[in-house]
Amino acid sequence: MTSTSIDTARARPAAGTLARVRTTRLQAIGEPNLWALGGALAFGCVMVVGFLLLVLWNGVTTFWPRPVVVVTTTDGARLAGEPFRSEVYRPGPEVLATLDEATRRRIAAAGGLAGRDLYRTGNFDVYSEDFRWVSDYAVASTAMPSGLMFVERLEWGPFIGTIRGVTVDGRAMPELKDDPRALAAAHDVARARWRQIRHIERDLIGDVNHELEAERLNVRRVALRYGDGTPEHVAALARFAERETALQADYARLAADAQGLKETDGHTQITLAEIGGAEKTINLSAVVRMYPANDLGVAQKLGVYLSRWGEFVSDEPREANTEGGVLPAIFGTFVMTLLLVVVVAPFGVVTALYLREYARQGRLVSIVRISVNNLAGVPSIVYGVFGLGFFAYVLGGGIDSLFFPERLPNPTFGTGGILWAALTLALLTVPVVIVATEEALAAVPRSMREGSLACGASKWQTIRRIVLPRAMPGIMTGVILAMARGAGEVAPLMLVGVVKLAPDLPLDGYFPYFHLERSFMHLGFHIFDVGFQSRNSEAGKPMVFVTTLLLIGLVFAMNISAVVIRNRLKRKFAGSQF
Amino acid sequence: MVALAVDDVRPNETVYHVKRGTEGTALAIRDFCLWYGAAKALHEVSLTVERGLVTALIGPSGCGKSTLLRSLNRMNDLIDGLRTSGTVEFDGRDIYDPRVDVIALRKRMGMVFQKPNPFPMSIFENVVYPLRVDGVRDRRILEETVERGLKSAALWDEVKDRLHESALGMSGGQQQRLCIARAIAGDPEVLLMDEPCSALDPIATAKIEELIDDLSGRYTIIIVTHNMQQAARVSDNTAFMYLGRLIEYGETEAIFTNPKLDQTRDYVTGRFG
Ligand SMILES: Nc1ncnc2c1ncn2[C@@H]1O[C@H](COP(=O)(O)OP(=O)(O)OP(=O)(O)O)[C@@H](O)[C@H]1O
Ligand SMILES: [Mg+2]
Repeated sequence: MTSTSIDTARARPAAGTLARVRTTRLQAIGEPNLWALGGALAFGCVMVVGFLLLVLWNGVTTFWPRPVVVVTTTDGARLAGEPFRSEVYRPGPEVLATLDEATRRRIAAAGGLAGRDLYRTGNFDVYSEDFRWVSDYAVASTAMPSGLMFVERLEWGPFIGTIRGVTVDGRAMPELKDDPRALAAAHDVARARWRQIRHIERDLIGDVNHELEAERLNVRRVALRYGDGTPEHVAALARFAERETALQADYARLAADAQGLKETDGHTQITLAEIGGAEKTINLSAVVRMYPANDLGVAQKLGVYLSRWGEFVSDEPREANTEGGVLPAIFGTFVMTLLLVVVVAPFGVVTALYLREYARQGRLVSIVRISVNNLAGVPSIVYGVFGLGFFAYVLGGGIDSLFFPERLPNPTFGTGGILWAALTLALLTVPVVIVATEEALAAVPRSMREGSLACGASKWQTIRRIVLPRAMPGIMTGVILAMARGAGEVAPLMLVGVVKLAPDLPLDGYFPYFHLERSFMHLGFHIFDVGFQSRNSEAGKPMVFVTTLLLIGLVFAMNISAVVIRNRLKRKFAGSQF
Repeated sequence: MVALAVDDVRPNETVYHVKRGTEGTALAIRDFCLWYGAAKALHEVSLTVERGLVTALIGPSGCGKSTLLRSLNRMNDLIDGLRTSGTVEFDGRDIYDPRVDVIALRKRMGMVFQKPNPFPMSIFENVVYPLRVDGVRDRRILEETVERGLKSAALWDEVKDRLHESALGMSGGQQQRLCIARAIAGDPEVLLMDEPCSALDPIATAKIEELIDDLSGRYTIIIVTHNMQQAARVSDNTAFMYLGRLIEYGETEAIFTNPKLDQTRDYVTGRFG
């Protein structure tokens, strides 16, 4: 029975009434689209990976010590320097005119092009330049002689040349020249003395100044409170005079100590000679690091490399930020990002909670939601202007006149600072957190809320105990995104507290230890500053890569830790359902 | 007390022949209507639920069983655009009175859902959730509650060694029994169960039916089920609903062996068209 009915059904199209062969068009299969999608993905990946590799390679190799090459040019001049980079260029007619016939012909044969190398010659104080181009045709010979020293100095950048002599405590000690170990020991002593001087000048005298300033402010406070010339004011003035004398004495003692040390320091010197023979004598303590560039084994190179990295991440910048370390910038970036998270996470979550859980879902809420989403599209510099105008001038100005009137007209909170920067970035990134939180809240299964309510929990208890924990991984994703965005943002910060060189870290030993009002350094701004704002942009270029690498690394590390926390949370909620 | 006599035919033509409990009425639903927006989902439902007995709600899909059940602990409050009329009296008070404390009401009514919905916490914390909500901190009370609850839900022996592991790692049947333990941990008077066995295998189902048997007498139980045998086995009274109306409400045995209406007979015998 059944078979016959199927047969008749089959027979019908054959009879011609429904003779249509079903086909599938290529468009419907979607294979070409697949190629386009895959291609787009691959293109994106290549760009990102290429960028990361570029930064990684340049950042990682910058600190590796390079050999110093001595180039003898055809006119007999000699130059010593680290080969920096090469390029092909087109010599101008006035240059060609100075060349001999054979060279000119060779250049013409190469299509008018010639090669040239950039050498980092150092010795800025002698040459008035750090880098020099040498055209290939001008090179008579190159060599890498041993004994050439690469000397990193506190000032004037590196010196490349030979050691002529060493004076320790006023006694000439020529034997140190050929005894690297003894020289290193003398160098360590000199450096320790230098650090001691710095400690006295910065920390100890800083303490005295801090205390003096506090006393001065105290007098101002009394004057503001009781009025000028009142008995209280007179008493405060008297006390101040007494303290001032004592502090001045402290200051004089410390300054004398430092002066004494400096004099001693001046008796330990090193005399260096550049390749042309010009000599230069500097304090040994002004040498940060020196090594015989062409005589290093791999282990020693590695030592130099690591010591440079160590200095980079743990020291302060010098030479207009192109040398030294970036510790203040690392610290500033880190603290600001943490502050940003501390502000943006609760604020965003609370807002999203209200929007999603409590507000009546109507037109008003929709408008608010759209506005919040659009906030993410406002150019960040606009937030910077707002942060400066509202946070720094209005809020900060208010705080100053309320709590720090004695310091006026010097602003305390009334100018850019790390707190205002964090708040500005919080504002900038809060939409991300709100959107992510809303989605996470919406994704909490209704059955779970109902289960909790059915147990007699109030709405708030349900949110607190069931919804929020369950939404936490999604919320964390939002916070991670906000953090990543905030840590990399520079433009608004330039208006609300980032500076080229911050005298003090936001965290120090003076009460209240955490100084939210202080301006700070930031890796992102540091990159901009070193790369494009410094005297010597050629020398700054490698530092740009290193700092970029560091910034990427820092953001990456912070994100990874957040992701780890999130995954821990997620694992808690992932269980087999049946 | 509502005076609903056996065979009392109301204007909406519900047929009643209810078995009376010894402890009186727990819930009295009178002319209860419910609208989801403009759609009327319950039409003048009137019934009394006897204290200490098991009442089954049966009827074809979409007839309003869950809606009615969820009206009893005001779970429907969460739905936007919901409107009701009529009254549901619990202990002589209308629970739809605006002055009623909904949270307190829910504390007196445990609820078990169709799909197990354990919280993403340990087994222990799941069971004591109603106590935590009340702010109970005393370790001894909490532990007692867990043991009593899990024993009542016939789960104690299976999980007593892993009380502090996540509840999400349990099987579906275990999870459902955990939800039952949670529902009775708060010591409610009424237990509302919406197809508690629909996701379970026959063995787990049998366990839960046994459990319902044990619990009857101590609790007033209202259970929604699609399983006729189950309704016949566990309940004292059965309400048959159809298209948002209560058609017949009477003693279970009578409903299944000798219903008053042909419509009911067709449904319980599976000849429903
Ligand atoms: N949240 C809601 N919004 C609008 N209509 C709803 C909602 N919940 C249920 N309904 C409608 O109310 C009617 C009754 O639904 P209910 O869930 O009570 O049926 P049920 O008897 O429990 O069915 P089942 O046996 O399939 O669970 C159905 O027509 C359904 O479409
Ligand atoms: Mg249902």
